[in-house]
Amino acid sequence: MLSPERLALPDYEYLAQRHVLTYMEDAVCQLLENKEDISQYGVARFFTEYFNSVCQGTHILFREFSFIQATPHNRASFLRAFWKCFRTVGKNGDLLTMREYHCLLQLLCPDFPLELTQKAARIVLMDDAMDCLMSFSDFLFAFQIQFYYSEFLESVAAIYQDLLAGKNPNTVIVPTSSSGQHRQRPPLGEASVLEGVEASLFSQCLENLCDRHKYSCPPPALVKEVLSNVQRLTFYGFLVALSKHHGINQALGALPDKGDLMHDPAMDEELERLLAQVPGLVNSAPANPEAGCLPSRTPPRVGSPWRPLHHARKVDAESDGSTEETDESET
Amino acid sequence: MIPGKYRSVSGRAANNVNCGLHLVIQTSSLPEKSKVEFKLNKETPSFSGRLLQHDLERNYSSRQGDHIHLASSSMPSFPILQRSSEEKILYSDRLTLERQKLTVCPIIDGEEHLRLLNFQHNFITRIQNISNLQRLIFLDLYDNQIEEISGLSTLRSLRVLLLGKNRIKQISNLENLKSLDVLDLHGNQITKIENVSHLCDLRVLNLARNLLSHVDNLNGLDSLTELNLRHNQITFVRDVDNLPCLQRLFLSFNNISTFESVCCLADSSSLSDITFDGNPIAQESWYKHTILQNMMQLRQLDMKRVTEEERRMASVVAKKEEEKKRESHKQSLLKEKKRLTINNVARKWDLQQHRIPNIAPNQDRKVSDSSQDPSQLHGSTVSAFPEETGSLDSGLANALQGLSVTDTHLVEVDGDTLSLYGSGALESLDRNWSVQTAGMVTTVSFTFIEFDEIVQVLPKLKIKFPNSLHLKFKETNLVMLQQFNALAQLRRVDQLTIDPQGNPVVNFTLWKYYVLFRLSHFSMQKINGTEVTQNDMIMAERLFGILAHVASSELPQYRMISILGDARKKQFRYLLETKGKKPGLVNEENNDSKRLVGENTNRAMLNYTTRDVYNERLEEIKEKKKFCKMYMEDLVKEATEINMKNEALQKLWPQMFIELVRDAVIEIRNKNSYMKLCLQQITDQK
Repeated sequence: MLSPERLALPDYEYLAQRHVLTYMEDAVCQLLENKEDISQYGVARFFTEYFNSVCQGTHILFREFSFIQATPHNRASFLRAFWKCFRTVGKNGDLLTMREYHCLLQLLCPDFPLELTQKAARIVLMDDAMDCLMSFSDFLFAFQIQFYYSEFLESVAAIYQDLLAGKNPNTVIVPTSSSGQHRQRPPLGEASVLEGVEASLFSQCLENLCDRHKYSCPPPALVKEVLSNVQRLTFYGFLVALSKHHGINQALGALPDKGDLMHDPAMDEELERLLAQVPGLVNSAPANPEAGCLPSRTPPRVGSPWRPLHHARKVDAESDGSTEETDESET
Repeated sequence: MIPGKYRSVSGRAANNVNCGLHLVIQTSSLPEKSKVEFKLNKETPSFSGRLLQHDLERNYSSRQGDHIHLASSSMPSFPILQRSSEEKILYSDRLTLERQKLTVCPIIDGEEHLRLLNFQHNFITRIQNISNLQRLIFLDLYDNQIEEISGLSTLRSLRVLLLGKNRIKQISNLENLKSLDVLDLHGNQITKIENVSHLCDLRVLNLARNLLSHVDNLNGLDSLTELNLRHNQITFVRDVDNLPCLQRLFLSFNNISTFESVCCLADSSSLSDITFDGNPIAQESWYKHTILQNMMQLRQLDMKRVTEEERRMASVVAKKEEEKKRESHKQSLLKEKKRLTINNVARKWDLQQHRIPNIAPNQDRKVSDSSQDPSQLHGSTVSAFPEETGSLDSGLANALQGLSVTDTHLVEVDGDTLSLYGSGALESLDRNWSVQTAGMVTTVSFTFIEFDEIVQVLPKLKIKFPNSLHLKFKETNLVMLQQFNALAQLRRVDQLTIDPQGNPVVNFTLWKYYVLFRLSHFSMQKINGTEVTQNDMIMAERLFGILAHVASSELPQYRMISILGDARKKQFRYLLETKGKKPGLVNEENNDSKRLVGENTNRAMLNYTTRDVYNERLEEIKEKKKFCKMYMEDLVKEATEINMKNEALQKLWPQMFIELVRDAVIEIRNKNSYMKLCLQQITDQK
């Protein structure tokens, strides 16, 4: 409690760094908005649920974009939620356009801005032919980099432009103009002939950037690793490398590795259960009630699955008949 | 009809001349063979003349063989005709020269009293040499080769002129024949009726078997009773109403196909007998009653008497036709109006769609707080709107706003389809629809209306048109999959048609599956005309099932309630707004919403709020957020103060503790004085 690090930061800043205040504010705000409903079962329970959901990463579902963007944890949770929900789309092998991915994003966040999706698409398509189809995994990883590190990437873009123009932000401008110019000239010459910028120079600038700014940026070591492999690289080349780097992905912790991207046994089981409920499906295997049960507090589920497809499904609030999926099996 | 006696003289069985006239001239029977002799000029006989002479001598036995003598005449080629004085006295007023193989009209000498002249069945090519017969009343030139009417200018008394079966191309040179009673020009090559206006005594005009293509120029024929125009190529008839006495008109075997082409007949009050057989018009189904209806004065049609029954039927049928025509006219007017309205609405819609980008380039584009403008998704990419076109469009738009638009929307109920064009049409859902009409509607079609506006009236639609099972959307700006969530609130949808025109969402690969997934409780049968198969349903579930699961199971309770609560709140709000709300209705809605909660709870989370409503809500929340922030800051301040105090206390506590102990020990050092002090304190307290 009395650790020196803690005491080193003033209280407010400490709280801010951990984003505690963001969540507290949001919690109180939610409380205010839904006070009639929440007052039914108590404020304490509300706070419990709220912070539980924050821990689980479900708090960002269907929330406005400003909230989702507010903290790194939110962003990571959102990425994970997106992956979870639409992994099946990727598994199906469909290649979709940028707009369609944006649509899917909007299903989870109604006011998600198009620019972000566009920037992510640019990374995948290397800033070319924006109407091209993209695979789910390509898009997802590029989107991850773009969304999670969006501020970082903006600064990187600025630096890149500067480097391209020949201005080295690291250069200290000595009053005697000649020496400053001397130092600057070689990179200028190279940049105009070859594409992109020199990797080492770029790496230096990025290191300084990471040191200077407080918002999240990829682990500097890994960035250095990415840049050490090549001599020269373009902006989008750099981003693509970032997106495909396993280490960065793992450091982020939101998404599984590329190889495991389509695997999610828990959800797959759940899906099987749901599929079994599609009417008319001649699936003899009864749904496994233990796997991924719905919590007991959800209202009663859809009734028997064995009704023919084209009858009007008037589902009663209470399920009729005793099929395997009655509530008895739930805890 | 020419009296039978005369007919036998001419030797013809068939007589095309249908004169209804009884000739004044009384004739006595004439012997078959002619008693006439011919005198021919021997000196310079023409070829034909010679032949004629031969024929004559061969064919005709003249009783007065010795009386033929050929006199010379000044005319080289004309035969001169002379009769014996006996014959002249016997038949002083008539002369028959039929079948004489004449090629020219002979000079007729000394027969100035002649009243009847018959040149039938010859080969005469020109009418000549009869100018001196100024008493002539009856001239028959039937079946010759006359090409032109001429040489008649002195025959002022002429009353019957028979020129049938010749080669006459033109009616002319009849100026002086003012007494003409019968004019027979059948079987010629006449193309036009002309030069007859002065024939005010003419009673019969026969122009059958000519080349007439139309009938006009009939003024002046004030006595005309019968007009025969059979076997021509007549397509229209005019001026017949200028004939005050016309009773019989024969138009058989022409080219008349509509009543309008002969409509002047309706105005002719004298007509009693008419024929149209052999015309295209006679084949029409409406022929008889149209004629009878328009020509009430008719007594015979196509040579058959018109009965009262027929007349009655005709008027009935004609009335019905009139009704039908009026109806169809009204229909076509309505259709035209509808088409114009739709065009209007379409234009307005296009304007709207193009007007929106004017605002977009002016917005600040900040990554963090730009709210998505759905119009930016419409059509081209964001970067593609240059400022110039933006300002041009706004200029144009402003100019067009000045135009007065008569119809801005259209509502149409056509049997089982309700069609709405233009956003103004949505207000029509408030109207009092009759239960029958509303019950019959199974298809609702929206065109040129923003989908967000349609969403707002869906509850109304549900109530007013409970049987609507098929929804069609065209040019409604459907851009996001999310928008389909809004359709879930309806009772039931069997078919959905999203027209690619104006609905970019159709370009997405997954849109159909999403629809099937989100609206699975409807058990839809068709989307855009294709049947929904079991595989489609499975695929939809496979693609989006997890989304539903996550939405329902992983949301905290309060979120679920708040989202569902919103939906319920919306429904109640609508009910409160509708007039004539009955308690029973409210209960029904309650049940409905309960049912809604019962079905597909996992999907019920997926709602759609329109852009505007969403932004409104975010605006409302801003206040609360500000308050929360301040509140938290206060709390944090308090907490940090307390924390600081706590830490300070922690630091100072050992010292304080020691001092407390020291003070206490010092106090109790002297037991006796301490005891006294305590007791005193107790007494003081009392």
